[in-house]
Amino acid sequence: MSELSIVGKRIPKIDAREKVTGRAVYAADIRMPGMLYGKVVRCWNYAHATVTKLDLSEAAKVPGVIKVLGPQDVTSNTYNSGVLDLMVSDEMRKMLGDIEDQPIFTDHVKHQADGICGIIAETEEAAERAAEKIIVEYEPLPVYLTAEESMKPDAVQFTPLKPGNKAFELPEPAFPGNAYGWGDVDEAMKKADVVVEDAFYVPKQKQCQMEPHAYVALYDDRGRLNCWTSTQMPKLVQTKLARLFELPMSRVKVNQTTVGGGFGARLGMVAEPQACAMAMAVPGKPVMIQYLREEDWVASESRHPGMYWMKMGFKKDGMPVAVDAHFTSYKGGYYTQGSGVAFTTGAWLAGMYKYGALRYRGDSYYTNQVPCGAYRGYGNPQTNFPLEQLIDRACNELGIDPVDWRIKWHKDVGDDGWCIGFKYPSCALTECLERGAQAIGWKEKRAKYSTQTGSKRRGIGVACMNHTSGAMPMLLEHTVVSVRLNEDASAEVILSCSDLGCGAHTALTQIAAETLGFPLEDVHLLTGNSDASGFDIGAHASRTTYVGGGAVKQACEDVKRQLFERASKHLGTPADQLEMKDKRIFIKNDPQQSVDIKTITTLGVINLPDPATGQPVGEPGQILGYASYFPPHNSPPFSACFVELEVDTETGEVKLLECLTAYDIGRAIHPPSVEGQLDGGVHHGLGNVLTEETYYDKKGLCLNSNFTDYKLLGPSDMPKLTNILVEQPDPYGPYGAKSCGEEGIVPPIGAAANAVYNAIGVQIKEAPITPEKILKAIKK
Amino acid sequence: MSSRILPEFELLPHDIDEAVKMLGLHQGKASIMAGGTDLLVMMGDGFRADYVLSLGNIPDLAYIIEESGKWLRIGAMTTLAEVAESKVVQEKYTALWQSAAQNGSPQTRNMGTVVGNLLRASPSGDCCCAVLALDGWVVLEGPQGRREVAIDDFWLEYRATARRPDEIAVEVKLPDVKGNTTSAFRAMTRTTLDLAKLNAAVRLDMSGKQCENARVAIGAVAPTTIRVRKAEELIRGKEINEETLEEVGKVVSTEVSPIDDVRSTAEYRRTISGVLVKRVIEEACKGV
Amino acid sequence: MKTHSTTFFVNNKEYTLDIPVHRTLLQVLRDDLSMTDVKYGCGAGECGACTVLVDGDRPILSCLTLAVLMNGRKITTVAGLEKEGELHPVQEAFVEEGAIQCGYCTPGMVLKSVSILEKNPSPTEKDIRRGLEGNICRCTGYEKIVKAVQRASIALAASSPVKQKEGGKV
Repeated sequence: MSELSIVGKRIPKIDAREKVTGRAVYAADIRMPGMLYGKVVRCWNYAHATVTKLDLSEAAKVPGVIKVLGPQDVTSNTYNSGVLDLMVSDEMRKMLGDIEDQPIFTDHVKHQADGICGIIAETEEAAERAAEKIIVEYEPLPVYLTAEESMKPDAVQFTPLKPGNKAFELPEPAFPGNAYGWGDVDEAMKKADVVVEDAFYVPKQKQCQMEPHAYVALYDDRGRLNCWTSTQMPKLVQTKLARLFELPMSRVKVNQTTVGGGFGARLGMVAEPQACAMAMAVPGKPVMIQYLREEDWVASESRHPGMYWMKMGFKKDGMPVAVDAHFTSYKGGYYTQGSGVAFTTGAWLAGMYKYGALRYRGDSYYTNQVPCGAYRGYGNPQTNFPLEQLIDRACNELGIDPVDWRIKWHKDVGDDGWCIGFKYPSCALTECLERGAQAIGWKEKRAKYSTQTGSKRRGIGVACMNHTSGAMPMLLEHTVVSVRLNEDASAEVILSCSDLGCGAHTALTQIAAETLGFPLEDVHLLTGNSDASGFDIGAHASRTTYVGGGAVKQACEDVKRQLFERASKHLGTPADQLEMKDKRIFIKNDPQQSVDIKTITTLGVINLPDPATGQPVGEPGQILGYASYFPPHNSPPFSACFVELEVDTETGEVKLLECLTAYDIGRAIHPPSVEGQLDGGVHHGLGNVLTEETYYDKKGLCLNSNFTDYKLLGPSDMPKLTNILVEQPDPYGPYGAKSCGEEGIVPPIGAAANAVYNAIGVQIKEAPITPEKILKAIKK
Repeated sequence: MSSRILPEFELLPHDIDEAVKMLGLHQGKASIMAGGTDLLVMMGDGFRADYVLSLGNIPDLAYIIEESGKWLRIGAMTTLAEVAESKVVQEKYTALWQSAAQNGSPQTRNMGTVVGNLLRASPSGDCCCAVLALDGWVVLEGPQGRREVAIDDFWLEYRATARRPDEIAVEVKLPDVKGNTTSAFRAMTRTTLDLAKLNAAVRLDMSGKQCENARVAIGAVAPTTIRVRKAEELIRGKEINEETLEEVGKVVSTEVSPIDDVRSTAEYRRTISGVLVKRVIEEACKGV
Repeated sequence: MKTHSTTFFVNNKEYTLDIPVHRTLLQVLRDDLSMTDVKYGCGAGECGACTVLVDGDRPILSCLTLAVLMNGRKITTVAGLEKEGELHPVQEAFVEEGAIQCGYCTPGMVLKSVSILEKNPSPTEKDIRRGLEGNICRCTGYEKIVKAVQRASIALAASSPVKQKEGGKV
């Protein structure tokens, strides 16, 4: 590959200045003339109930109130806030059993804060005052907080479409025995010399993106529904809204505002349906909804918690002969991404190590918790916690070093990835493990920590992860990009890929500039406008740089091809004998003969016939490059993570010392963004394993829907963070890049759990690993 | 259920005598606000007060005055940040200094007050713990003038104090400490910035290696912050060494009655309470 | 509705407003004055997104401040840091270090960083981390934010007239 001039450079992010000055516009920052405020009135005191009386009349009389909407006043169509159903074929959707079970306002409350009705008022204050006047009576129903409770035969049914409250299990036709995997697990397990087995609890973690959900919706005078939202996937939300309100897509416009963090919380819809339903009730008036933090917590989706049973068999030399696993997740009140996480949790397991045989079963049951959906890692954090701990337990019994074991048994190039039959095209995990272990002093520290005395015990742990670069082959993968050259030879790159703050738009701009051979300042990305951009499945599955970047590259190559064609005519030389530099195209063998790109683009646009001949001068027609890009492959990244910590054995408290991630990035398009993704991922991962869990009381009411009671690690709690970017370019990714959006969260979970194990010699089977649990385990 | 919109209320006048009158008039419907870091959160969660007296509008309530040989007086509007920046507090009333300096975030320290912390009467209040160990007094101003309540008598039960509805807490005062007195405070939290799952403070009056008198306070283990008198008796008149500390550790866990909540469990709090008290005594001893 | 006439300064500009007593400074800044650079993150003083500086360098939470109590006060929001199109050295450092991801915490985080350096121009890493407590960032793991404050500290020291004078003597 020739030398890169823009890709790989540590340029300032393209959106940094507008954000550091406070000028970036998030949805709640929008100010429009005549804008009204919408409030969803929610059920706060019950997690499971039927509404027996709803009287809106008093609320409607409150000064400033424009309209109050009950379930009868909005479309009776239901929806699924997730978007998986848009990315599979009809047959697949039927087989998976994806359903649309969410109403805009409900009379069957399935979780705390389910929406009952809506108020549209001149101000937020009027809407709040009116909300106090809504008269609503409930008939409480039994509350189920775990799958074990809701699967009981006499349990109240959440929906007639899912008998037994079983929202999902791997369907028999595609997964014989409702299981994913290969080989005969029962037979293989019998041959194992060492078997480790346990049931683990993985926590209900909240994304906690800093921008609470907010929307503005307007049903305009042309009969178009406009929605300003910080969704991660504007085009799919456009489709969903069109379907819900029975409008052609040409009458639905989604404007993506600056996204104040996503992490899966905005994968699909959150309150777009409610905001749009309100807007349609007051045509011509924009309506804003801004969630409270508490509302964000209990009325938008979280990570799937649940019980994860796993059993692994090993030969004396460490060979993993069999894995048997079963993850039962607690779905919450609605189906949403029911099929997705239940499958991928096992897929990440399948893609990690060279097991002789694997059987993974995944199912999900309705509960009266806040619904679960997408959250960074999408099942991978759940898998990392039991898998990596059981491996270390086995290594301990077998007397094998955990790093050596992982180097020997991780999957590699040519092995099946997370989707069986889909091979890994690249893998630098061995180098990650070796360099990481070297950098953190693994051997020395493991030896040193094996002979500790006293109440402060240090531990060091390792864990690996594999993830994905895009959604294929499980889901549709498709991004459309068009690149228009302006007459002055600057480029407008039009697409719908989102930047959730991770630097994706910076990386895409770099890819565009690199491919076009233009300086950065000549390239502009037009995003977030569903009218202008073609199809895209949105920001999820760590796909934007890998797939979006591939699409941008292909569209820019199309532009370049057209430029060379025109230059070829201009210079009277075949295109393959031309080269481009500094925005000039010249003949390789005769560089004096050249044409300026600007000459081509200007003539393309401002093309007047020669007065003498009546013929055009040069080539008329504005250059438009185009890619409707279905990536040829998926190149999952890998990483190895090392965590060092200290346990106070008198109190069980954990002090984090260092977290080192060695990452198989393929190529870092924008290195600061890659580092930022890993650092941020570590924050979520260490939180998942040490402090973060949503608690409920017996009534199903959330006990910690705020930052005082739900604890994120703060700046002083974070350990020293080190990143090693291992760059072995991937054959498919744009400029060799693989993804890095979700992955950082995953292996700190296993690594920290294993570091605790290394420090105290006991494994904690329930996350988060709190001092309370550690002390209890030590005392035992 | 929370809200960005606070309930409506009226502000009371700024003159202290006038304010006391108004408090009497609106008994039960008026709240007093110092930094606002508690009251406004409560109001956002639906707590209603028809009248609010903002101490911020009353002049001369922000001070730290050392009356040598007598008292250290801290005004009701003195912020936690001001206490944390005070050399006198740091050197002589270390427990209070630690409880203020580690309290919340820089923003809430700039807004919240020590007196407000005592008035909130949360069993996990950090300053509550320190002031209890330091034998403080709360000065209240009411229709009959001023009265002073020993901190030992100030908290009646969970979130309830001896302040009458028509009184304003204007000051907390701590008895002067001699060179042989030392104190320390420690909180156990889930993360650095958190309400305490357990906190403890001690004041030790030492004579050489011997402890002449001790006050041991522990929080988040009962409806109010409490003193562990059995622990105090154990060390009084004794040399503080491994052995006495071991005994103290044991006795503490028998004196507490903690509960489960999102921050910790009753079992953990009980188990660890002795360790924490031991550690805070050790830390105080280092300061001799 | 009880209102009070209140006069305060925001980014050196004077405002006199008739403000309902129960309105927070955050609401007045965002909703009445359209200063949307101040962010709502939690409304309970837990996240620091609404941080503003009072009287120069004192960070407070605008969501827990009654606007009518701001009479005579000088408030700085992040929009007030830029001078004649030049970013404040702290803002510059955030850009250079890549300390900004989603950007929602950034206004509060930048103001907080300014206050840390005003108080202590050469803080240790621990000082910085302690100082940043109360401002939540969910994107960066704080790593690049800490580095940005360190970078700003060096930049400010280099540009400070006192330091330059001292440097000249040496």
